[in-house]
Amino acid sequence: MHSTESQAPKLETELSTEASLLSEIYGFLALAMRYPDSSFLDGQFLDAYEALLQSLEWKEEYADMQKWRSQTGDFLNDLQIEYTQLFINASPGTTIPPYASVYMDGDRSIQGKTTEKIKDFYRSCGYEVTSSTEPPDHIQHELEFLAALAGENRREEETLFLHSLFRPWFIRFLKHSIQEARHPFYRVSIQLIDFFTKEEQ
Amino acid sequence: MAIHLSRRNFLKTASIAAASVPLSKVVAKAETGVAKAPLVPPGSFKDTDTVVGGVCEMCFWRCQLVGKVRDGRLVKIEGNPKSIDNGASICARGNAGVKLLYDPDRLKYPMKNVGKRGAPKWQRITWDEALDTCATKLKNVIDEHGPESLAIFPHGASASYPFHFFEHTVGTPNVSEASFFQCRGIRDMAYMATIEQPPGENVDMPNTKVIFLLGGHFGENVHVSHLKRYLKGLENGAKLVVVDPRFSASAAKADIWVPIRPGTDTAMLLAIMNYLIQNDKYAADFVDEYGEGFEEFAEGIKEWTLEKAAAECDIPVAQIKEVADLLAANMPNVAIHPGRHVSWYGNDFQRQRALACLTGVLGAFGVKGAFVPPKGPKGLKKVSWPHGDHDPDLLSDYADNSHDFSPPGTPTDLIRDAAITGKPYPIKGCVIWGQNPIQTIPNQEKTIKMLEQMDFVMCTDVMPTDITMYADILLPECSYLERYDYIKTGTQWNFADEHQQYIAPRMPLVDPEFERKDGIWITNELAKRMGYGEFIPTKDQVEMVNTRLAGVGLSIDKIRAEDGIHIQPGKDPYGISEDMTVIFYNEDLEDAGYPPIPTYIPVERAPQGYMRLLYGRSPVHTFNRTQNNAWLMAAMDSTPVWLNDKVASKLGFKEGDTVSLENQDGVKSRTTATVKVTPGIREDAVYIYHGFGSINPELTIGHNKGIDDTSLITKLAVDPETGCHGMRNNFVKLVKVS
Repeated sequence: MHSTESQAPKLETELSTEASLLSEIYGFLALAMRYPDSSFLDGQFLDAYEALLQSLEWKEEYADMQKWRSQTGDFLNDLQIEYTQLFINASPGTTIPPYASVYMDGDRSIQGKTTEKIKDFYRSCGYEVTSSTEPPDHIQHELEFLAALAGENRREEETLFLHSLFRPWFIRFLKHSIQEARHPFYRVSIQLIDFFTKEEQ
Repeated sequence: MAIHLSRRNFLKTASIAAASVPLSKVVAKAETGVAKAPLVPPGSFKDTDTVVGGVCEMCFWRCQLVGKVRDGRLVKIEGNPKSIDNGASICARGNAGVKLLYDPDRLKYPMKNVGKRGAPKWQRITWDEALDTCATKLKNVIDEHGPESLAIFPHGASASYPFHFFEHTVGTPNVSEASFFQCRGIRDMAYMATIEQPPGENVDMPNTKVIFLLGGHFGENVHVSHLKRYLKGLENGAKLVVVDPRFSASAAKADIWVPIRPGTDTAMLLAIMNYLIQNDKYAADFVDEYGEGFEEFAEGIKEWTLEKAAAECDIPVAQIKEVADLLAANMPNVAIHPGRHVSWYGNDFQRQRALACLTGVLGAFGVKGAFVPPKGPKGLKKVSWPHGDHDPDLLSDYADNSHDFSPPGTPTDLIRDAAITGKPYPIKGCVIWGQNPIQTIPNQEKTIKMLEQMDFVMCTDVMPTDITMYADILLPECSYLERYDYIKTGTQWNFADEHQQYIAPRMPLVDPEFERKDGIWITNELAKRMGYGEFIPTKDQVEMVNTRLAGVGLSIDKIRAEDGIHIQPGKDPYGISEDMTVIFYNEDLEDAGYPPIPTYIPVERAPQGYMRLLYGRSPVHTFNRTQNNAWLMAAMDSTPVWLNDKVASKLGFKEGDTVSLENQDGVKSRTTATVKVTPGIREDAVYIYHGFGSINPELTIGHNKGIDDTSLITKLAVDPETGCHGMRNNFVKLVKVS
């Protein structure tokens, strides 16, 4: 009896610690999906990024990142060009728009029905996207929202959101990104997002 | 990827490793975009609002719209039921405006080209960096070479304000608008030289007895209230004459289809007029009262017998006579349509003069069913950039032909040639606003050469286009659904109905997204940075529209309260003003060395083995502007090549064959299309839609769809009086691909 009673709070504490770490990771990945600027994307960010890869024991990805960092003269400029190419406008080549509605609403649209559903989901959890130039279904905001939910340890809503509104479009986005995202930073970031959002087997 | 850990295991065990990762510290540096907000229970109902004040710009007819908006998102566009112009009707393109608004390929942020012109690599930058760069680079060009060294290529309602800044205040005369130099400028100037006013498409079709179209392909060309006029006329029993080498949608409704040899229209018009005059079947009283130089004119066209024209135009004598008699029997209640896109063969000013003169010969002005300009609202104030004191150095002063009857601006080829040769002076800065000169101006190679030698190229647009690939700085503009600018005015569409006037300023249906900005803001910010801040005529788009409306005692708020359109009593448009003159013989033209009476100038015929390349409109597209629209491309995403059935059988082509086109200069189309075998086109011509085959791969849907007709228009023709291009003097052969 005693041992069971003492294990339950322990499990809760563990889960809560995990949730708080997961919230940080979501928040971190949200930043990776945001247009890079010097206010947050600096050497410390990249150090943290590498540390995360090390913790995960993603050796190849870690090596790719290190190689890029050792070769680039201006990592921020590199990432800005790469981000623009991948997520904003590219020529020649194809962009992979980071918006849920583009993949879910049949005829490639920003501000589609899915955008509305996602906005409604945020609101039903007491959140809203503010002060952003991007629509609420931009991957950055979805990850920020997940960070907020994880931060409050709202596992049920997190799981529902991942299952119904995140993974269904993300897997298509992921497929395109494998073809298009050549830069290690974005390729690995998208893989990290996949890793941290996919349901456990 | 070697994954040794599952997410759960990682989260469980990572506490030690994670401690060394300062994630929280890194994350805290940037604010999250997601913030706490009041809880809205799931399933809460949201109203769909009707937002008024939309004015379409999927094409330039500008139908009045309302938007169905839910939670800030435009879900549907409809015609404004209050409209006395288009009414509740809008076309396929109008409906598909939603897909332009939310196209993921749209320009979203200012960008700089860190690659090459033509092979760009984009980097998103801030508005400050973009505007500072544009201002500095343009200023450098002006300081080094003078204001004339800037070339401006504008198009559309939002381009007026910026190009007036560059033209009036900065002082460059080198502005080339596609709507003039590659479209309707010739018509306007020819009518100015004949009846002293640009004609618009002001024929009273609903109430006419005969509609006469030269190349007009209504039904494929969809301008809603214009189509309503045309269809009401047909419904009321008007006879329809369609002169077109192709069996167009209009030809299909015609009482008489005249499959004329391309380029010879003026010969036919002269023969009709000569026949009417010689047989005393013209409006003699009207001509006596309003005509000027009629006798010289009548004498000058005497050579144009029906037989001579029939041979030249490759149509039967009897058919020309039939048309002439039909017009005579019903004059003056006949609608001689002035056309719209008329830059065809480089002899077009003369044809347009002939059309205006034919209207005069028939006395078809000011009466029911004739040429009747509407009496629209007057009194809107103007807001424009002040003229500086710079006396511009005009390229036309150096040219062999000064194109004295040029529409406003400078003929495109004078600008382009000066840029390429550096003579008579260099042109080193380029501002492109809403125009896609790769697809509007013939001879793409020369356009690219012009761009390559520029010190700086700035583009503002809504979508990526072929020309935006050549920008150094690319600025994203609000679309017509997200801004104020144009004020559409007019009358009820049918003059048989109660006379009414309307005033409909464009108002945004939704807020702009990303970092898109309106043209007034962009221009003002640029002007400030270039040192012209003191000349700014209006602080923003709202102030501009309100200032203009104040001239008639209205405001945006008042009109919004009136459901987006102000309607007031109108005036009877019929009647002829006392100073009306039809200038049959124009001395000004003669003084400038051009033919004073309408004159037929033959154009080259198709060489052996080639056919003339004709182009026109698809009913669901506005040329290149709609090339990436998901709905419209689902309806029509290619350019079937119309080929005469006899020619097809002789050359061994069948319906559905995939072909490329090769022109007389050996230029091959970059893409292919399928053959449409039909008796509905002459043997000496082929026909495709204009505006397809976009080069820019940023257009996920539109890239390389159909054949780009402009890429095959390499041989230039320039209309002598106006300096406008003629774009139907190139010849192609079909090359079978599969």
